[in-house]
This record gives sequence, C-alpha cells and structure tokens, in this order.
Amino acid sequence: MKAPSFDPIEIELFKNIFVSISEEMGAVLGRTALSPNIKERKDFSCAIFNKKGETFAQGSHIPVHLGAMPLSVQEALKTHEFEDGDIIILNDPYRGGTHLPDLTCISPVFIEKKLEFFVANRAHHSDIGGMSPGSMPLATEIFQEGLIIPPVKLYQKGHLNSAVFDMILANVRTPDERKGDLLAQVAANRKGEQRMIDTVRKHGIRKITIYGRFIQEYAEKILRQTILDIPDGSYTFVDFLDDDGITNKPIKIAVKITIRKSEAHIDFSSSDPQTEGGVNANYAVTSSAVLYVFRSLIKEDIPFNTGLLKPLDIIAPRGSIVNAQYPAATAGGNVETSQRIVDVLLGALAKAMPGKIPAASSGTMNNIAFGGYDRIRKKSFAYYETVGGGMGATSKLDGLSGVHTHMTNSLNTPLEALENYLPIRITTYALRRGSGGSGHRKGGDGIIREYEFLEPAQVSIISERRKFAPYGILGGQNGRKGRNILISSSTNKKTLLGGKANFKIQPHDRLRIETPGGGGYGEKK
Amino acid sequence: MSHKIRIGIDTGGTFTDFIFFIDGQLFVKKIPSTPHNPSLAILAGIKDYLKKSLSVFIIHGTTVATNALLERKGGRISLITTKGFEDILFIGRQNRSNLYSLDGEQRQPLLPRQRCFGIEERTTAAGKIEKSIPTDALEEILDKIIKKKTEAIAVCLINSYANASNEHIIKKAIKKRNVPFSISSEILPEHREYERTSITAVNAYLIPVLSRYLSNLEKNLNHANLKIMQSNEGYISPSFAASAPIRTSLSGPAGGVVAAFHLGKAAGIQNLITFDMGGTSSDVSLLDGQIRRTNESFIGDFPIRMPIIDIHSVGAGGGSIAYLDRGGSLKVGPRSAGAKPGPACYGFGGNPTVTDANLVLGRLVPDFFLGGKMNIYPKRSRRAVKKIAGAIGKSIENTAEGIIEIANATMEKAIRVISIERGFDPRSFSLFSFGGAGGMHAVDVASNLSMSRVIVPKNSGVLSAMGLLLADAIKDYSKSVLKMNDDITVKKEIRGLFSKLIKKSITSMKKEGFTEHRIKIFPSLDLRYLGQSYEISVPYKENQPFDSAFHSAHQKLYSYFHPNRPVEIVNIRIKVVGITEKVRFKKHPPESPNPQAALFGKQELIYGNKTFEAKLYKRLLLKTGNTVLGPALIVDDEATTLLPPGWRLTVDGYFNLIIQRK
Repeated sequence: MKAPSFDPIEIELFKNIFVSISEEMGAVLGRTALSPNIKERKDFSCAIFNKKGETFAQGSHIPVHLGAMPLSVQEALKTHEFEDGDIIILNDPYRGGTHLPDLTCISPVFIEKKLEFFVANRAHHSDIGGMSPGSMPLATEIFQEGLIIPPVKLYQKGHLNSAVFDMILANVRTPDERKGDLLAQVAANRKGEQRMIDTVRKHGIRKITIYGRFIQEYAEKILRQTILDIPDGSYTFVDFLDDDGITNKPIKIAVKITIRKSEAHIDFSSSDPQTEGGVNANYAVTSSAVLYVFRSLIKEDIPFNTGLLKPLDIIAPRGSIVNAQYPAATAGGNVETSQRIVDVLLGALAKAMPGKIPAASSGTMNNIAFGGYDRIRKKSFAYYETVGGGMGATSKLDGLSGVHTHMTNSLNTPLEALENYLPIRITTYALRRGSGGSGHRKGGDGIIREYEFLEPAQVSIISERRKFAPYGILGGQNGRKGRNILISSSTNKKTLLGGKANFKIQPHDRLRIETPGGGGYGEKK
Repeated sequence: MSHKIRIGIDTGGTFTDFIFFIDGQLFVKKIPSTPHNPSLAILAGIKDYLKKSLSVFIIHGTTVATNALLERKGGRISLITTKGFEDILFIGRQNRSNLYSLDGEQRQPLLPRQRCFGIEERTTAAGKIEKSIPTDALEEILDKIIKKKTEAIAVCLINSYANASNEHIIKKAIKKRNVPFSISSEILPEHREYERTSITAVNAYLIPVLSRYLSNLEKNLNHANLKIMQSNEGYISPSFAASAPIRTSLSGPAGGVVAAFHLGKAAGIQNLITFDMGGTSSDVSLLDGQIRRTNESFIGDFPIRMPIIDIHSVGAGGGSIAYLDRGGSLKVGPRSAGAKPGPACYGFGGNPTVTDANLVLGRLVPDFFLGGKMNIYPKRSRRAVKKIAGAIGKSIENTAEGIIEIANATMEKAIRVISIERGFDPRSFSLFSFGGAGGMHAVDVASNLSMSRVIVPKNSGVLSAMGLLLADAIKDYSKSVLKMNDDITVKKEIRGLFSKLIKKSITSMKKEGFTEHRIKIFPSLDLRYLGQSYEISVPYKENQPFDSAFHSAHQKLYSYFHPNRPVEIVNIRIKVVGITEKVRFKKHPPESPNPQAALFGKQELIYGNKTFEAKLYKRLLLKTGNTVLGPALIVDDEATTLLPPGWRLTVDGYFNLIIQRK
C-alpha cells in the first residue's frame, strides 16, 4: 500500500481533530478540579504525542508548559515499559518536569496491543510540600522546594498504585484538594485516550500516524516562512533578573539570535551561571520561552507542536541560569526567568524588525503563596496565585492594563470565591494608574492587589521587575517597577518588602502588591 | 387569553419574518428588514391587522439589544461599586484573548473609568454587613452621576450575592432620582464579582436602547398585545424586557429551538440536535425531550452567567471563504463574503465560498436560487474554485468537495461540543436542519457523526418566527446558597428559600396575566462537589434526596464521580412557566408514496468523487407519504435540501422531510 501523501484538505481535517481532542481533555480537567489554581485560573495544559513523545497538538493553555511537555514524555519513555491503562506521574525538573508544583500525568495509548501514542496533561498544584505553604519558597536546593516525583506509575494496567498516591498525599499540606485535582488529571487523560482510540477506529492507524507527522511538518513550514521574513544577521540583547532572593546580585540573561534564511540560532552563552536561589530555569523552560516567542511571530492559527523546534537551534550552556543542573532550586525559573528570557528574545528581534515588536510587558507573574491553619473552617490551607501587570505598547496600540502577558495567561481567582474559601479578605483590586511607560503608545498599567489576612499565615512572594524596569522601545519610557508592601494593622506602618520574600503575617496585617507597568512605544509627540 | 390573531415576528439581519395564525390557518410573510429602525419593517408587515379592531397577540424576537451591545450603541451608564474595586470591569479576569500575538489587543469598554464610582461599604462572604452605606457619600455620588447625564445606573457591590441589603439601600436612593437602574443582586445573585458586575453593567447599558425601541413600537401597535421573546425559551411583557434587556440576548435564535422542540414533539421525535446554518455562522443546540440551558455563555466579550438556551455558534456558513494558508492547508472561514459582495456566483466578488462549492457540485439549482428570485452565475463559482484547485493540483470538483468537507468538519466539531462534551451520544439524536444553507450539509454532517436521521421541517426558512408562536411565558429566579448539603438545617433552609422564591415567581407570573392553573414551577439546584468551580443543575423535589442524581450527572458528564465527597449547594433556581394557548399541528394522512407530481427536472450532481443524475423536486408540491430516493434535490423558496445517494426521504404527516439511510 502506498503511503498517503500530504493532502491540503485532509491536513485541515486532522488538525481539527487533534486540537479538539486536547481541548476536550482540558474541559474535563478544568471543570472537575478542586483547587482555584486549576479550576478558576486554568493553570494547566493538555497535549497529544506520537510514540516518540513528539507533540501533534497542544491545547492553548499555558505557553510555559508547551515546549516542556515533550521532554516529560521522552523522560517517561527512557525509564519505563508501558502497559495499557498505565499513567506515569512526574514533577522532577531534572527528569522531565519544570518546577515541582507542576505535576504531569502521562498515559500511553495502545492500539491493538501496540503502543502508538501518548496523551498527557500538566497542572500547577497549589502545594507540593517543602519548606513553605504553596511550594514557591526561597530555597537554595530543590529538596527544600517540595516533594520530588521522578517518573513513576500512578496507575498500572488501569489500577491505582496506592503506594505512590498515598506517598504523595502524605507529603503535601492539602491532601484532600491534591487528591481531587489528581483525579481530575486522570479523568482528562482517560478522555484523551478514548478519543484517540475512537479516532483511530474511524480513520485507521496509518493515516493518523502519517498526518501526525504532516501536522508537525506543516507547523515547521509556516515557522520557516516566518523566519525568512526576518533579515539575516545577528542580533543581541541583555536584560537582568533583580536577584535570586538569597543574594542581592543581579543575574544577567544575554542572547544572540542569528537569523540565516529560514533558521534561527539562539545562543544564551553569555548568560550568568545558575544561582543559589530558586530562579533557575531548566532547559525545558528555556525552550518553552523560545518556542513561545517564535510562535507569536506567526500570524496563522496553527497547532502548537514539536515541528516548531526544527528550524530553531538553541544553545543554552549546562549549569547556566537558562539550563540549570541538579540540584539547583527551580521554583521561580518557570514563572519568572521564563518571562525575562522572552524579554531578551523580543529585545533582540526588535533590532531585526523595528516596528514589529512591542515594548517589554510587566515581565513577572508576581507569585504569591501562603498557608496556615483556618480556625473557623478547622483545616489547613495552602494557596497560590499570580497577579497580572501592564502589557507593553505596540506601534499601533497602547498596552492592555492589568493582564497576564507572555508565558502565562491564567485567570484571576474571583475575590468572592477566595473570600468564601480562605480566611482572607481582598481590600483593593485596582489598576495601578500611571505605571505604564509613556510614549507614542502608552504601556499598560499594572495592578494593585491588597490582601488582609484573618489568620496568621506564612507568606512567600517571588516577584521580579522590582529593581530593573520593563523596557520601553524606540524612545518610549520604561514601565514603573513593582513594589511589595507589608502594612501593619496596629501601627499602620508600611514596610517595603523585597521582590522575593518569605515571612509570617499576623491577623489583619495587609499585604499590598503593586505590579509593574508595561513599557511605552516610540517617543511621545 | 384567547386572541383571534396571533403573530410571530422575528427580526433578522436581512429579512423580518412573520407567521400569522388566523382562524386555524398559518400564513408566512418575509419582508426586508430596516436595520436603522427595525420597527418600520414590523409595522409595514402587520399594518393590515392593526387597522381593524381585531384582537391581536404578537410575540416578537428582537436583536435590538444584542446589536446595540455588539456595535457599542447602548446608553450612557455609570457604575456604583465597593470602594477599591472601581476597575473591576477593566481588569476582567486578568487574561488576554489571544495567547500568541505581538500585536496587542484593543478593548471597547461600555463606560469610561470616570463614571465608575466606589463607595465605602463592605459585606462579608458569609453575608454579614460589616460597613453599611454612608448616606452622604451615596448622595454625593448620585449628584455626580446625574451631572454626568447618566441614562442608567449599574450597581454591583462585593459579596452582594450573600446579602443584598446594601444594594437595596442604593436602589432606594436611585429610585428617588428617577434614573433607570440595574442591580446585581436582582439580575444575577451569584458569586464571582467580575461576571456579576459585567452582566449588571451590560444590562444597564441596554436599558435605554431597548426601552426606547419597545415604547416606540408599542405606541404604534394600537391595542395589540405585544410580548418579547427571551433567551431562556420563553416570552415576557415589554416592560419586564425593558428593565432586563440582557434577557433578550438570544431572542432570535431561541425561536428556532422552541419550534424544533414542538415540531419534534408533534412528530414523535424528542431527541434532536438543531442545526441552523446561515450565511456567516451556524448555530447548534441539543434537545433531549427538553430544551437544554446553560449558565455559561458569552455575547461578544461579555460573560452571560444566566440560564439561556444552550446554543453553540461557529463562524462557518454558506458565505465562508475558502483559501490556502502558507503551510499549504485549505481553510474555510471564519472570514465570510457576507451578503455583499457575497459568494462569487452572485457576480460581485471573486472569493470562492461554501455556496460556490455547492454550486460547482450541482447541489444547488441555478434557476431556482432563493425561489428563482435571484440571478446567479455558476461559471463564476467554477472560476473562483479553480484558483484554489490549480494551487493544490486537484480538479475543480475535488477541491469543491474538500471545501465542503472542511466546512462540515467545523459543524461536526460544534455538535460534538453540545453533545459529546455534555455527555450525550449524538447517535441517539436526529439532526433537525433549518436555515438557508443547512439542507445542503445536514445529511453529510449527520452521517459523519453516525446520526441516522435528518429532519427538515416545513417552513424551515421562517422557523424562528414559528417558534415565537409556540413559546410560553417564562421567568427565571435564582439565589446563591453556597452551603454543604450535609445536615438537616441546610435542608430546611433550602426548603424555606425555595418556598420564598416560588411565591415570588407565582406572583410575578400572575402579573403577566396568568391564572394559577396555567402556571407551572420547575425548581432545580446547582450542585458541585465541595471545592469544585462548576456546577451541574439537578431537578429539585421537596423532601427527596438529590445527591444520587448529582453523582450520576457527574458520571455522565465527566466519566467519574466522588461517592464520598460532600456535595455543595451553589444556587437554587426556579423556572416559572405561564402556559399559553398554542398553534396545534394537524396531522395529515399519507396520500401516496409517489412524488412524481413534484418532479420538475434533472441535473448532474457530484458526490463522493462520482457523477450522478439527481432528480429535482419542488418542496411545495410534495405530498404526505411521498418517498424520494437519493440522489435528489428538494427545492423551495428559502432553501435547497440535498438528498445524497444511499439516502431516502419521506414526507411525514406534518410535511416534515424525514431523511434516513435506504
């Protein structure tokens, strides 16, 4: 039988099918999960893979997960033999994960007793143990950040491996919520498996396999054409992370992008070494950031898959801030360093394509985690959320205000849901006027979010752009830097906290987060 | 409540459709819409019936509110909210609409920030009033609002779903100022501050527009009794609609679904998926013996968290343009050629559309396009499709079939969303097809989803107007509870809350003119496992447990359930229905199986890469009991139905076309 050749009609039909499978998985996960971070904020991603662990399509959820998921499946492939009904779980950043709170569940899909595909989803859990509630601590080694799960079988031949399950639940602060979220992740994978099996039944294994490949080639082809439009040459840019939370030293991230016809070499060799504090990005995070930026250059609506990696050659030296090695702490690498990697990539591309690249967006996810004991509800709590900021201005538009940019797009938790569920009160949730950089087009404003605690709590903050402002472009002004402030209820005294902080807060004290604005575009006329 | 004349009027973008029910007879009328003032077309269409001193009852489906929202032509509004949260409408849910874009994003808020006012007050999540409304500050704010020439005021305070007393104080003060208002605890007393504020503001924004429109219309109707269709499948009085215009958001499409429900019921077919394919978009919805509703829809960018018919729209229709993208993939839509320039065959534009592909394949009869009232140019369709065919190295016919396959895939995806994603198997449903372009695609779409039957109803071109004639009066009430269903006090409390809501709903339906024996109450509960964020609605019967119904609904939707996890009661809901007299459908006995009398010609039809000779039938001449075997085309003034080879059509006792495999 002759292999089917690329058909412009069928490619469109299969794109439709693959994308809708990953979206249906996402619908199950989002609607049945228990923690606000997954159900309200949608901090998760779903994808389908070929048997080598390369993606066909990923649901459009969280960009920072996207480049990283294939590495999870490939790690699982290295370590395990699969049987029908298995589910592998992992979070180890050095064996297929990104940072510990992101738990990934991987299911093999068997067709006529042969392993043919994988489906997987990754969700950010609001606690995975470790030294502080919410598992986003200021740690110096990964062991402090929480429970490390190498690729292990959570389900074997369809049966729950309760030894693994119990071990996980015994190491987290909110086991009941973790259990509900994990079962939602399992249900999402089961939905994906079933849909893949149904699709094969309808179209045949040969066709699905071949069109899986064509869809990767299709994405690659469009990216190559997009890169062709960028003038050949080398473009560099440097920006800094404020610090690693342990020392005060700025951390340099430098990139040199070399465009040669339809290919891009992205070289991070001049970046600083990995640090003691947890802002280290592993390779998966760095490649996600690169993929995100190049995907964003594409105007077409294309499926996000492994094909996009082909024209990109990423050089990230081992042991550097963009390719940290075991046992470096990584909690902030995924959420903060990934944003700065995007900033330097866009800064470099702006030199290649002036006018087409926006000013820097807020450049931080403003991660807030806290936990304690709730005397009224009589249970422990652990909570995690991120706060948006200002979007950078473009040549045509002012930046949006109060929004998540680049590597995340998670929703806020409605404060009415938050207050109903936790001993906390939100006293202000507003735009931070004047924080967007001025210019021909103005950068978007950041957010002010003020929390009043009703119970004592341990709080950790990982935020950035408190020392180095989001850059304006082509004469536009920088966005304002962010600030974290502790307000005492007894004295009303305001204490300026660092960008990264870990402290105990007393009832009725308030935590005020003021997030950075976006950079302005062009000189103000 | 008996009226001699009943009229259903559906204002659409192009045509205003009328169905008259007079002395047991149905008449249909279609006249061009007058978008700048939709009432002109309406009055022109019914003027003969207003002159005489007749008793006239009108149910009207209007898009005035929805269009005003989408085109940002609503009123000048102000918002009063809790101090510290004035930016709530501008932050939204803190996310962006396009994940991968370096072009930024433009938003069009309903009001500028300067007209959002914060007031020092606080209600806790538990419903305790911690700070009451400072009267002086409130009056000051109202002074400013009046100075700003506000046409309507939206009020939404933090946690007001748990206790609305602070909002009531503000409402009283506004009433004294004589400005129309929209109060969040009355519109949507449910938690999630952004969604509640947004719908309250949208409602306020539409009040000036809809009340102007309706009072103007009523003035010209003499004594005719006017009712307005809502998105919840029922109609309501104009005064109620004008105070809650958000409830009319799906006024038009709702009619089609209501018609499907009643026509299906008459024909003995309860499980239906409606398929309304128009020029630029297509709507689908599912009925399993009842009209399904959702609390999670959007109009434009605005979340609408109130019960409305679960209609899912996709941007593909007859006018959708086909093109080849840079990766070599053939795309169809969402860009549409619209009514102007329209498909290439209209003679004005050169872009190949779905309609052109149908014409190339012989699935439309050129001389009978829209009943022969419009000239079309099949050669232009061929030329347009040829451009793509050349680029992908396929024949014109194969390319045309590809365009249709891709458009059909979009429809199938839409149907999957409302069936499989909601836990229903489409194989046990019939596809109920209407709208201008539906008939050409219905059988293929059904077949791809392994649905065994397609129904094309009589009057399929004016089905929404027909649905208006069949609607009942409906109001919805809800109340957030957010309590665990674990003890007897909660059960007692729920009973109490229900009886309060039921009383309120009966009183309000009596005000609409219904006597008690024509009022029906449908109580339900929105439930979820403690900790979840999305609810499932389950019917409520006093003194009967509802946990097991919830577990099985969860199992059906998501393929698993938590037997031991506590269940949380999120909202209680009442749907109150005022039953109206309706058009009764008469069943006609079968006449003959032979459709010869309706046959008017033959033409070449391409299907599945093969050429057939299709017989052409006039729909109006088909008789009950007639059986037609595919390949054939059934033509009427509004639409063409493709009966592919391998399928058989019979005309049932209600003149519906019932299509099944041979």
